[in-house]
Amino acid sequence: MSSPEHIHHPSPAQYWKIAVVLAVLTAVEVAMYYIDRAYDLGILNGLLLVILAILKFVIVVGWYMHLRFEKSTLSRFFTGGFILAAALYTIVLTALGIVAIRGG
Amino acid sequence: MAELAHEAALDHAHPEHESTGVENRKLGMWLFLSSEFLFFGALITNYLLYSNRGGFAGVYPAEIYDIPFTSVSSFVLLMSSLTMVLAHNAQSRDDHNGTRTWLFATAALGSVFLGGQVFEFTEFIVEFDMTLATNPAASAFYVLTGFHGTHVAIGVIMLLALWGISRRRGGLSDKQGLNLELVGLYWHFVDIIWIVIFTVVYLLSVPPT
Repeated sequence: MSSPEHIHHPSPAQYWKIAVVLAVLTAVEVAMYYIDRAYDLGILNGLLLVILAILKFVIVVGWYMHLRFEKSTLSRFFTGGFILAAALYTIVLTALGIVAIRGG
Repeated sequence: MAELAHEAALDHAHPEHESTGVENRKLGMWLFLSSEFLFFGALITNYLLYSNRGGFAGVYPAEIYDIPFTSVSSFVLLMSSLTMVLAHNAQSRDDHNGTRTWLFATAALGSVFLGGQVFEFTEFIVEFDMTLATNPAASAFYVLTGFHGTHVAIGVIMLLALWGISRRRGGLSDKQGLNLELVGLYWHFVDIIWIVIFTVVYLLSVPPT
């Protein structure tokens, strides 16, 4: 593990900064939940929560899992699996007419 | 051009690479994680199918979620990703003390998350009488979060095993360092699945009207 590849990886200080960003995004998510309960934001709430989750997802995969620093082969395999699963289950949910989410 | 230079640099970083340019075990782990999207996708879809379908007896999960409690659990798991990546970073710098400390911290945070899940399940069963057999929504909830919890538990066991090995004189070897990286990938994956579950299952779920 003492390979030169890690020269490209973020420093511990950067990892802490990323953690702060993730914590703030989580706090915003929880705040959105309560704001929606108070003011009923409708579809906007669902949209914002999904965007926030995608942001957190991308940050963890890109920086903590180092996918953005890895060979493109790995990115293709990983995103390929994700897109396949997302497409498959979106089709299933759409076909069954189920959108059981707030504001959906 | 820059991408080619980056790939070449990575080739140089892995003297023993395979025909794909990526170490086999690492490629295997990424493929395994990729396939896990289908596994958890099926469980999440199952939950969405039943979470607000009315007509069943008993309490629905979305009626009894404790969002503040689950938010704290989510935060704990999120921070365990930080300690995991710090363990990986310490290992790459041959900082054995740092590796040990952060590995243990990750396992501890994972255990706290699991404790929270046990508490949540116990509360749902004892206080609200919502068991696995109450209705399809409850069943889908327990199966989804239970399988995620099982993944976390497996991760904690692997982390503690690595921590035990790292306590030996000389710390983790280069080969075991790859094991740490693979366990780290697994751990981060468990975290990103929880990011999805927290949003879709907890924050966006609504009980049937």
